[in-house]
Amino acid sequence: MKPRAATFLLCLALAFAACARSAGDRPPGALVVALESGPTNLDPRYATDADSERIAALVFDSLARPDRSFRPRPELAETWDTPDDRTLVFHLRRGVKFHDGRDLTAADVAYTYRSALDPQNRSPKRGVLRFIDSVEPEGAYVVRFRLAAPYAPFAEGLSLGIVPQGTPVDGSRLVGSGPFSLEEFRQGERVVLKANASYWNGAPRVSGLVFKIIPDAIVRVLEFRKGTVDLIQNYFEPDMLPWLEQHSRAAISSAQGTNFQYLGMNLEHPILRHREVREAIACAIDRDAIIRHILKDLAVPATGLLAPEHWAYEPAVAPIRFDPERAKQLLDEAGFPDPDGDGPLPRFKLSFKTTNLDLRKRIAEALKEQLARVGIELEVRGYEWGTFYADVKKGNFHLYSLEWIGVVDPDIYYHLFHSASVPPNGNNRGRYRNAEIDALLERGRSEMNVDDRRHIYGEVQRILARDLPYIPLWWWRNVAVMQPTLRGFELYPDGNLISLRKVSFAPPAG
Amino acid sequence: MRRFLLHRVLLLLPTLFGAVTLVFILIHVVPGDPVEAMLGETASSADKAALARELGLDQPLLTQYVQFLAGMAKGDLGRSLYNQGSVSGLIAARIPATLELTLAAMAVALLIAFPLGVLAATQRGAAADRFALVFSLFGLAIPNFWLGPLLMIVFSIQLGWLPVSGRGGPAHLLLPALTLGTAMAAILTRMIRSGLIETIHEDYIRTARAKGLDERRVWLKHALRNSLISVVTIVGLQFGALLAGSIVTESIFSWPGLGRLTLQAIQTRDYPLVQGCVLAIAFSYLAVNLATDIVYRLIDPRISYED
Repeated sequence: MKPRAATFLLCLALAFAACARSAGDRPPGALVVALESGPTNLDPRYATDADSERIAALVFDSLARPDRSFRPRPELAETWDTPDDRTLVFHLRRGVKFHDGRDLTAADVAYTYRSALDPQNRSPKRGVLRFIDSVEPEGAYVVRFRLAAPYAPFAEGLSLGIVPQGTPVDGSRLVGSGPFSLEEFRQGERVVLKANASYWNGAPRVSGLVFKIIPDAIVRVLEFRKGTVDLIQNYFEPDMLPWLEQHSRAAISSAQGTNFQYLGMNLEHPILRHREVREAIACAIDRDAIIRHILKDLAVPATGLLAPEHWAYEPAVAPIRFDPERAKQLLDEAGFPDPDGDGPLPRFKLSFKTTNLDLRKRIAEALKEQLARVGIELEVRGYEWGTFYADVKKGNFHLYSLEWIGVVDPDIYYHLFHSASVPPNGNNRGRYRNAEIDALLERGRSEMNVDDRRHIYGEVQRILARDLPYIPLWWWRNVAVMQPTLRGFELYPDGNLISLRKVSFAPPAG
Repeated sequence: MRRFLLHRVLLLLPTLFGAVTLVFILIHVVPGDPVEAMLGETASSADKAALARELGLDQPLLTQYVQFLAGMAKGDLGRSLYNQGSVSGLIAARIPATLELTLAAMAVALLIAFPLGVLAATQRGAAADRFALVFSLFGLAIPNFWLGPLLMIVFSIQLGWLPVSGRGGPAHLLLPALTLGTAMAAILTRMIRSGLIETIHEDYIRTARAKGLDERRVWLKHALRNSLISVVTIVGLQFGALLAGSIVTESIFSWPGLGRLTLQAIQTRDYPLVQGCVLAIAFSYLAVNLATDIVYRLIDPRISYED
């Protein structure tokens, strides 16, 4: 009876398998990209996670998109005027068509923005767009935005992908005007895009893109080794890079990225509220050693939140030097002498919260060891992500480490360090308060002249480097592992995948 | 039998109710805020408060619980907080993949365990028995997160016979089914072996032999059938566990099943989706247990469920 039962089960399983479309299917001439968790929602009004935003940017055009130095680069809007501080007038490119053949007009732009702003639609983009008072089409190719108040970071809102008028919010009909159209979206499995042969800015050179969701890092690398994946960007553990270099013909390229890793501190803590203590911690951390041994040189020491590529980056801020002797001296001056010299007793004890991910725990252990050398005992506590993040937002921590990704406008400083941005009203999780910074950030938000803004944020960066509400650790480098036949892929500082429009495969040799 | 079935089906309701209640409490007790995850970090407190109000998350937990039960009674499991899709639709989309993997893993386990278990029992102490013992030890000791990549390296990379991961045709199914089925095969091999050895000393076996039945018939017809009850129990329990989703195997093989969906829902604090997944998992467990009870009756006609 049992062999029959097993055969029956096997037949049933095979019947299901036969119904499933092969995940190994690669449309001829298509490029396969491996992702870790994959997008959750490709509607540009809802796309907030990195994968969703990066793939949506290939399907949907926007008015403008940040360039390499995070200035807005025209896309659907050929030009724009600012008749006054509260008005923006966009002149749209003519002849742009959605994938279904309809013309893209000002009415579609107005619809997209209004629908993202409608509270009924619960769009997560509403927060970024709340400066918009009204959006009105003027004829077929002009859109007028009226701002509630002068708002310099408006450019951040211009990268919202444009959908055709009447597109529902349930994700059932996703049509854009970008270089690729959406063919298939199976959440947690794969996303298939098809090249838009009539794209206004030149048709893509590959026939399509397949984004394959492979949660396990080892398996992503094995898929690449087998040749069923053509490109992996960033989604691998630093340790795997040397193995890939040895065991495959991978073409590996890396470039400076903007993802910023920092050490957050609770400034209401009786010890950490001393600036000298924060500087001592900063001096006690040997970033170079962590980057070399744990991160395998996939990062560079950071001086602050904005990377050197950013238009508002302040080059006068010097990197923090690793100097344990100075750290000890600063701790002595702050009133925390070492009770037994080089003996086992610490000056004080702090806790460091992190997630349970292997790499994070290794970094935490390295920090613990380095701080111990200057007499600070660090108790490392690893948590599941949701619990960790909830604690960070509540201010329930001494020290933690997180990274900021996707920073576009320097107005982010307002969310992180203005005294009005203490949670739940923002992300000033360390409870930093400085009236001088508050005033500068308010000016930076309403100053429409770019040069003046650069000066304001330069000053902000200098003050923060002195006060150290965050200790900058490193900027991650972006790394791409590609099959050797792949041509034309460019790494962007923010990790976007927009250059997939230009990639191609080299013809087979011989 | 009919009365028994009715009784068991009625018992399903309080069990499901208990499971759903427990998960409702747990998911609301652990830290995490779905509203901020939905609206993003730049949302104003007013927007966050408005959305929490709209979703009913500002209500006392008891009110939220009653509303959830009322929706469930109407067959409405709600909508996912993140991708706007209906919870029942999202779960239904994952069930074929989960069933496919579970059935194949079960088939692999049975195909390995039965011949090996019978061989080990009939040739006790011989090489086949020792091999079965070693296989069982390894099968139980090797974790899936190690076995899966090992099989990939051998069969996909070195030999190039099979795809590495993903769901597709039968070729995609083989490695995950083998990974998932090996541990179960190890358990079943040992159970079949010990069950057979115990049964073979029973009086009716001696009688069968005394009647002049050939050894093959004695082992397979009389001994094996009577030693199956405990095996069926384990198969039933394991089948339920596999249906609930083998998170590790699904993650390694990029298998889009219910286990991965549940894990993602928990990580993102997608309350309606977590609750829906748990309901589906609890239901499949109970359904498999019920099926196991029915199979007992088919295997051993002496078992009666009538009073």
